[in-house]
Amino acid sequence: MSDNYKKAMPVPGPESVPFWEGAKNHQLMAQKCLRCHHHWFPPSSVCTSCGSRDIEWVVLSGKGTVFSFVVFHRLYHKGWDGEIPYVVGVIELKEGARMLSNIIGVPVENVKCDMPVEVVFDDVTEKLTLPKFKPV
Amino acid sequence: MIEPSTHLRDKYALVGAGHSKLGKVPGVSAQGLLEEAMLNALDDAGLTTREVDGLICRGPDEIYTFHQVMGERLGIDVSFSTTLTNGGASQVMGVALAAMAIDAGMASCVLVGYGRDNWSRVHANKENHMRSSGRPQQMYGMEFGPEFGYYGAIAAHGFGAQRHMHEYGTTREQFGAISVAFRDHAIKNPDAVMQKPLTIEDYLAGRMIVEPFSLFDCSLQTDAAGAVVVTSTERAKDLRQKPVLIKGFGTGNNISGWFNDNNMTHTGAIQSGKAAYKMAGVSPMDIDYAQIYDCFTYMVLVQLEDYGFCKKGEGGEFVSSGALALDGILPTNTSGGQLSEAHVEGMLQIVEGVRQLQGIYGPKRQVPNAEIGLVSGHGGNTVCESTLILGAM
Repeated sequence: MSDNYKKAMPVPGPESVPFWEGAKNHQLMAQKCLRCHHHWFPPSSVCTSCGSRDIEWVVLSGKGTVFSFVVFHRLYHKGWDGEIPYVVGVIELKEGARMLSNIIGVPVENVKCDMPVEVVFDDVTEKLTLPKFKPV
Repeated sequence: MIEPSTHLRDKYALVGAGHSKLGKVPGVSAQGLLEEAMLNALDDAGLTTREVDGLICRGPDEIYTFHQVMGERLGIDVSFSTTLTNGGASQVMGVALAAMAIDAGMASCVLVGYGRDNWSRVHANKENHMRSSGRPQQMYGMEFGPEFGYYGAIAAHGFGAQRHMHEYGTTREQFGAISVAFRDHAIKNPDAVMQKPLTIEDYLAGRMIVEPFSLFDCSLQTDAAGAVVVTSTERAKDLRQKPVLIKGFGTGNNISGWFNDNNMTHTGAIQSGKAAYKMAGVSPMDIDYAQIYDCFTYMVLVQLEDYGFCKKGEGGEFVSSGALALDGILPTNTSGGQLSEAHVEGMLQIVEGVRQLQGIYGPKRQVPNAEIGLVSGHGGNTVCESTLILGAM
């Protein structure tokens, strides 16, 4: 945990508060349709598969695979100084929802599509926890 | 399933095309650049601002109702006018919208154009450079992106490229073939920004920006504008240039998201292309040249697949075969594209699409026997597509 965290802080929209609160409690949250059991992300008011409004927030397993990824070799934000190259990936969770995060704990050249990963919670400040992913 | 209205086929035409100075144009605003392009397009048609009754345009995103700014500068009241906001898919869509507006009796002579001052604003100072090129992808506001160091359209498109490489064995050398082909075209175009030859070795030696994209996978940051004039084919016959027919157009918007389903490797061009081909009554076999939206090399490769110029997954082989050259089976981005001419989100590719059918070029730049061409627009943050099929009169 750091008092002088220099990376961009997320500005949560009102609909995504459960996700960020969940992360603080080390739970990976997404929405689930009670009718068709589809899971999705980012948050909305309706099932993005069947259109039902009968939905709820649930805790995900945190396990998934790397759907795709990129490696940043250029510094776009000074908060990442000294961390180049770093990996940003699209993670496909076991439940089906996809979300953007960092893939950590692995040399960048070893990151592959469809590689199994699991969530790790990085408490970057007292108020912010980022769910990141590492190889299983 | 939608059914495009074939009654529009060949009924409307592009009668003039123009562009501004391209590249580093300090001291001129986006409005000034667009004004220059619009006046050049009107000159090309043999028309003046007095005959314009429709204005569809786009400029820097932060300028509210940009068409009103342009109308004031040109001193015109018009019956039909709007600013489009569908990213790189806006410009081709603007031409389609012009034809629809004229068909609905809302206007008779529509100016369509886009101007941007990206080089000047980005290079005004170092802080601007970092802020502008690092603009987070604001898909969800200010979360689910910047906190993970996710910045720029380059990363979003990079996800697609990476997944395509994984699924189909596409290589960086194949992306490089696109950059090299378009640079060859730019060198034949004296107005193009990039005039230095590019080899595949140069491409591979380019510094990595956001892997799998290196410097030469990325389109240019330029000050530039382009514009075209749309009117009825009937009226077009009395104007200065040989009219270029709007044979068909289409749109496809995978706005459920780039991360959703297989949208990264199967783009809106599939639906957009089908609609455009159907309206035009043509197939990919009939297309003599293509102007494909090339924000990044990968988008050319995947759109060529999605428009049916080769099978899904075979785009890499297709672009490496020499197909995109002026004497290839599908001359593509014949003015150099956004990778090597200048980047106005597809507007210059409409201009080039028109000029190839006006037949104004000498043998060095003219696609031989060009009768039908395809122009694509892609953007709106990766998922929106629009397509135009043009035909010689």
